[in-house]
Amino acid sequence: MTYDVVVIGAGLAGLTAALRLAEEGLRVLVVAKGVGGTHLAPATIDVLGYADGRVESPARALPEFVAAHPEHPYRRVPVGLIRASLEWFAERLGGLGYRGGLEENVLLPTAVGVAKPTALVPRTMAAGDLRAGGRFVFVGLRGFKDFYPGYLAENVARSEVPGGASVSARALELGPPLGGEVDVSSAGLARRFEQAEFRDLVVRELEQRLAPGEIVGFPAVLGFRHAQEVWQELETRLRHPVFEVPTLPPSVGGIRVFESLTAALRRNGARVVVGSSVSGSEHRGKTLEGVVTQTAARPRMYRARSFVLASGGFASGGLQMDSYGRVRETAFDLPLAGLPAPDGQRFEPGYFDEQPIAGVGLAVDDALRPVDAAGAPAFENLHAAGATLAGATPWREASGNGISLATGYAAASAILERTS
Amino acid sequence: MLVVGGGSTGAGVVRDAAMRGFSAILLERGDLATGTTGRFHGLLHSGGRYAVKDPVAAVECVAENAILRRTAADCIEDTGGLFVTTKWDDPAFGDEFERGCRETGVPIEEIPVDEALRLEPRLDPTISRAFTVPDASLDPWKLVSGCARSAREHGARILPYHRVLELERRNGRVVGARVDNELTGEEVWIRAEVVVNAAGAWAGQIAELAGCKVTVLPGKGIMIAMNHRLVNTVVNRCKPPADGDIIVPIRTVSVIGTTDTRVADPDELEVTQQEIDEMLDEGEKLVPGFREARALRVWAGARPLFSAEDVSDTREVSRSHALLDHAERDGVEGLITITGGKTTTFRLMAEAAVDVVCARLGVDRPCRTHEEPLRGSEEGRFYWLGSRVQAREPVPRSEEIICECELITRDRLKAAMVTRPTTNLDDIRRMLRLGMGPCQGGFCIYRATGILHAYERLDSRAANASLLDFLQERWKGVHPILHGDQLRQASLDDWIFQGLLAVQHLPE
Repeated sequence: MTYDVVVIGAGLAGLTAALRLAEEGLRVLVVAKGVGGTHLAPATIDVLGYADGRVESPARALPEFVAAHPEHPYRRVPVGLIRASLEWFAERLGGLGYRGGLEENVLLPTAVGVAKPTALVPRTMAAGDLRAGGRFVFVGLRGFKDFYPGYLAENVARSEVPGGASVSARALELGPPLGGEVDVSSAGLARRFEQAEFRDLVVRELEQRLAPGEIVGFPAVLGFRHAQEVWQELETRLRHPVFEVPTLPPSVGGIRVFESLTAALRRNGARVVVGSSVSGSEHRGKTLEGVVTQTAARPRMYRARSFVLASGGFASGGLQMDSYGRVRETAFDLPLAGLPAPDGQRFEPGYFDEQPIAGVGLAVDDALRPVDAAGAPAFENLHAAGATLAGATPWREASGNGISLATGYAAASAILERTS
Repeated sequence: MLVVGGGSTGAGVVRDAAMRGFSAILLERGDLATGTTGRFHGLLHSGGRYAVKDPVAAVECVAENAILRRTAADCIEDTGGLFVTTKWDDPAFGDEFERGCRETGVPIEEIPVDEALRLEPRLDPTISRAFTVPDASLDPWKLVSGCARSAREHGARILPYHRVLELERRNGRVVGARVDNELTGEEVWIRAEVVVNAAGAWAGQIAELAGCKVTVLPGKGIMIAMNHRLVNTVVNRCKPPADGDIIVPIRTVSVIGTTDTRVADPDELEVTQQEIDEMLDEGEKLVPGFREARALRVWAGARPLFSAEDVSDTREVSRSHALLDHAERDGVEGLITITGGKTTTFRLMAEAAVDVVCARLGVDRPCRTHEEPLRGSEEGRFYWLGSRVQAREPVPRSEEIICECELITRDRLKAAMVTRPTTNLDDIRRMLRLGMGPCQGGFCIYRATGILHAYERLDSRAANASLLDFLQERWKGVHPILHGDQLRQASLDDWIFQGLLAVQHLPE
């Protein structure tokens, strides 16, 4: 059988492209080596958090940013399309209650207490916005080693908020019974929060310890499928605003995004195959005809009319560097841009310096098709999206999920346009 | 007695002195074992490596290897060692090597190649000869902290982060030192009847404070820690010692070493891409696939090489180390320098130095360090790689694991913070191996920072500084060697620290 589109990669970029195409009635297959960055990244969509300093409004900052970074993926996605991608995402994941947008970044505390700018925020995290100030209390759970409310609160209390709003913060620790376990992961806690008895114990231990007007921050472990109900129940019963703070992977908030997107894909008739990595391809001239995946049993060919490569950067294995410093795109061996000179420095000695290797990836044309040095597309029907693209430093810019969402959306648009 | 230098030599000297009843203080400008000792490959020599080129050193290694196996068993993993002839090595050297070992007493046995390959299946199958020797791996931090602890129990004081600023002289005699507490900025004077300069590659700098010229040429050696135990036996190339010809399995990693380049300053040790490539190429000759195997970290250490032109008037115990009595040599009383040598013979060096002190002070107190074991080594049980897993296996869910790579529990981390009142995550790393595994602190360092803040009542400014310092220090060892799966891991760590936590924007 021939698909309309095969998407390689099940991170935010791949799932976004796939869902958009499936919604338009195309037959879509997602193949991925494993789950993608959703399980690592927080559920917030950072579009542009830092350019020259903290960005207050991505919409206002983007034109200048793009002009200053001509190789950046945002260069290929007009601001209108970025905005459309955010609106589409918030609507499709309506159950997660995303709010915000391109006009104003909100400031959410990270798990070390940095006030970090982000554009689109799920409902369960929204009350953490530090911009308006407030009295915050961060709640730790005994036996959970990935959240340190005291350390977090102290940094939050010292964070700079525009307009000089007053932020105060304190910490407290709860010790709800963990059924004999002493070492519980974020996923383990999320499952417990889905149980009424566990929530009951948390509420009863906590309610006496809150002062009027306090805003209550939990680690982002408030359930998986029923997170909205869990969050709602905590707010209602505690009678305080409640929010989640993302912490170390696995990202419970990100898993909710993954589950919501893959459920939507299934509803729209798409297929998701996780556990297969692309090991080869078949093409005729400049037309890609199929990809070969390596599974436990045997190689398998998937044919399609169009392809989206969203296999991620170094962290996801979409790009690899060998001991000689040679970088490869792992699925198709596509030409790469942004490579340091062959004998040049690969890394700067300062950990927080801009690293030469960070911008390596695929250069693309306006249809997000990977191109060679001369600007010619490698294949006329292969598009790329997400962290595999050249020219971004997502961690420095706080732009990772924004790039994945916008380029995944734009790659789907380009396919719809080309095939209509 | 004042001992300057907290490497294996200084720790050995202060322990030996304290056990002989001296009131002794150890000064180290940084943390213990952060100079040369903490930067070697971790090989407890059988003597095989020196059997042909330096028989005196070989004989010393044979004796000290046997002593340390009795007295410091808990710091040693009894891996055994192999010398193998690869197709790049002169096949005739094997006979010379065997003869050298017999003459110096290195226990050696030639085994069939098939058997060597059964022992170490990753070895290049084209090797033509193989010999077994009693090489082993030695944990330098455990050794030095064990000696320091024993010294303390015998009444000595151990002062890390104390830098010697000045050696005070009166009537041609060194009588004490002016010392800076690097943590508090406080200056103290310490009086002593005798100062033992055990500063290794920095011994020249210390001697100069007393107006004595000691030429120690720092010899830079680079080492690369590979993730996984690519071999479980120490593997040496059977050829005259050269660069990159030893792989030492130690704890959860294997370390390839080393090089030997003269440098001007032991504090300026740069690692070049060319040196790394050469090391990886040499590794490939012993273990095919080595180049693209996962490399964790690279570092350089400075060997203290005592300059030959000064040797004529020294009490040369052997070619392997130098013992200088500055009263005889320079007319400066009260100062002894012990330098050169290697970690395997640190105890012998310490014994020799304290013997000279005894002679100078006219006392007869015999050395006991060759008999008295360190704490934890009394029963002569060697360290075993599975010990941390074994300790946890009966009670798998009884404690929180803060560092999954090295199986460090919350209680153990807290205990370490109490034992050594330090807020420096890098010091804790060396004590516990925190953050030394495959993820290089990606997960545990955030946790350790939070625990340090909660438990040590460290304010957030200090906790932030500790976290950022650790990340920078880690990056120093990681970035020159990043490729393959370790680059992937480092990208995940960047994702966590720079993306998720945004630590670069922490308030100051």
